[in-house]
Amino acid sequence: MSNRIVVCLKWVLQAGEPDDARFAGVSPADHAALELALQWAERTGGQLTAITVGPPQAETALRDAIACGASNAVRIDAPLSTNSADVAAAIASAAHDAKWVWCGDYSMDNGSGSVPAFLAAALSASQALGVTNVTFDDSGITATRRVDGGRREVLAVHAPVVISVEGATARLRRASLTALRASTTAPVDVVVPIVAMRTSQHTIQPYRPRARALAMPSGANVLDRVRSLTTTGTAVATHHEVETLAPAAAAARIVDALRDWGYL
Amino acid sequence: MSDPDVIVVGGGPAGSCAAIVAARAGLSVVLLERGPFPGSKNMYGGVVYPRILDDLIPNWWEEAPIQRWVTRRATMLLTETQALTVDFRTEAWGKAPYNGATAYRPDFDAWLAGYAEAAGAQVLTSTTVTGLLRDDKGAVVGVTTDRPDGDLRARVVIACDGVNSFLAKEAGLYEHTDAKHFTLGVKETLALPKEVIDERFGVRGREGVDIEIVGCTGGINGGGFVYTNLDTVAVGVVLKLTKLAAQATRPEQIIANLKGHPAIAPLIEGGEMKEYSAHLIPEAGLRMMPKMTTDGMMVAGDAAALCLAAGIWLEGVNFAMASGMYAGETAVEAVRVNDVSAKGLVGYQRRLSNTFVLKDHRKLRRAPELVLSDRVQHLYPQMMANIAERMFRVDNPEPKPGLRRILRQERKRAGVRRRHLWRDAFTGFRSYG
Repeated sequence: MSNRIVVCLKWVLQAGEPDDARFAGVSPADHAALELALQWAERTGGQLTAITVGPPQAETALRDAIACGASNAVRIDAPLSTNSADVAAAIASAAHDAKWVWCGDYSMDNGSGSVPAFLAAALSASQALGVTNVTFDDSGITATRRVDGGRREVLAVHAPVVISVEGATARLRRASLTALRASTTAPVDVVVPIVAMRTSQHTIQPYRPRARALAMPSGANVLDRVRSLTTTGTAVATHHEVETLAPAAAAARIVDALRDWGYL
Repeated sequence: MSDPDVIVVGGGPAGSCAAIVAARAGLSVVLLERGPFPGSKNMYGGVVYPRILDDLIPNWWEEAPIQRWVTRRATMLLTETQALTVDFRTEAWGKAPYNGATAYRPDFDAWLAGYAEAAGAQVLTSTTVTGLLRDDKGAVVGVTTDRPDGDLRARVVIACDGVNSFLAKEAGLYEHTDAKHFTLGVKETLALPKEVIDERFGVRGREGVDIEIVGCTGGINGGGFVYTNLDTVAVGVVLKLTKLAAQATRPEQIIANLKGHPAIAPLIEGGEMKEYSAHLIPEAGLRMMPKMTTDGMMVAGDAAALCLAAGIWLEGVNFAMASGMYAGETAVEAVRVNDVSAKGLVGYQRRLSNTFVLKDHRKLRRAPELVLSDRVQHLYPQMMANIAERMFRVDNPEPKPGLRRILRQERKRAGVRRRHLWRDAFTGFRSYG
């Protein structure tokens, strides 16, 4: 049985400098994934493959991984704006026999965190996503992930699996000078995807809540209807009470009032 | 991997030029840069004069990442309420082969380092050199770095690690260093729309302005500058380190005063600060220069104090590029004849001595001291500005006073002794004449 370990790295251009590779790099989460993948490879004696999807300049991310200890590297030649499902499909076809796939939980640009999930589906692997802590022991990997309400879920992870980790899970080691020198000329396999890759254009915008349907304003003429919508010219602050209470009672009273007024 | 022939420490203009020359001659070169890319840590005060690149990169101006070509050069004397400016402009500097240019160092240095890489040099970033490796006779045989397994050996080390060079000090090339030989350059980069800059400074297209200022640094000896980038204006001061330390003034306060001066404020009004940076400058020229070579090592650029701060000439990047080139040429020579001892590297000193690098410094050896002297700093600007004010003031019905009388009266009023004036004039004439 193969014990192939893969780490997926996304090389990202900085938002303000779209054409400038000097400011490009990978996320701290990807660095953490690389470090954990290296540790797991050392522990299990497996080979670590670093994979990225991107243009030729993205190979700098792979060479950095090789300098840190990855055995080989694959670049899937596709634009950086390739959509998550296609990125995952391309990685899955390049690493179909992977048993342990490590990813950062989200990249620095779009940050949807969807590639690891797509990848788990494409590989028919189990998934441990958004992991905050990883421990290795003889029986395998234990991963802790964040769930709603501040709770944690502890997972016993078995191969084949896709694990995506947060940036604070590990700190990437520093490459030795010899390895760094060797990495500048290390070979990188380039895979051209067979199927056309679909791109998706993401733009980052401020958060805008979805519009809510409101009842028609009441009023006989336009001015009245505008007034009823904006409360212009009417007494403001319909809810107004002054009470003096102990902090705990005050908090309870506020919650009650908000519930009465329909905010909760 | 086998050890390289040459290690260049620092990816600034000196380091990149050294690496380009050595790598093009077929030597194996490793260039070590502590920042994430060459130029990322670098800062300077003004204008770069890249004509020295003519041979190295023919037609460099077609692709160098410059901001504006300096076609207007002004020298300004400031007092609190007055400004006397000598303002020169020429169309000649706005076309090939150009003269000076304003440029962002992270652009310019990264561009230059690209040539080193293209020539075959191995550029390793995020790697800080921490010291020298020596053999049992004391000759430099390599460097240590902050990476694991980080020792690297080579035939020749070229130290281009910038001002206050730890490597040159470790190699014993500096007999002594003294804080009074340094100034602190402090700079704010202010964003303004290009059209606004064009309008305020009276330039078009890629034309740019470089204003050098004396008398704007309060009680601290130094100078100031304003220069235009494409859509930013850099405003800064250069301050004598010992005076700055003695006075409890913050450098940003001195820049704020300069920015508030009636002659400067309208130029930069509304600019949004994009960057605040500071850097030491080796200002004392020949007085502070180290020995340039030792067994197995040469030192170039700011690390060798090759910075010309002579008032009307403020240059450094060109000296760095030239010294880097000459160090590279010398390394090639030394490796070929298999003698990398100080004797084998003697060609470096010869190249520096026979070219502008040391000739300019020798000629202007008294200039830095003169420019930073108390009289030039604190008395002459006031005196000159008052003379100009008297000359151009119309005091009718009083008749115009003769220039000689104005000169005599204003000299006395400013408290300048005649013999000091003659002495400074003589020193200036010997330096600049």
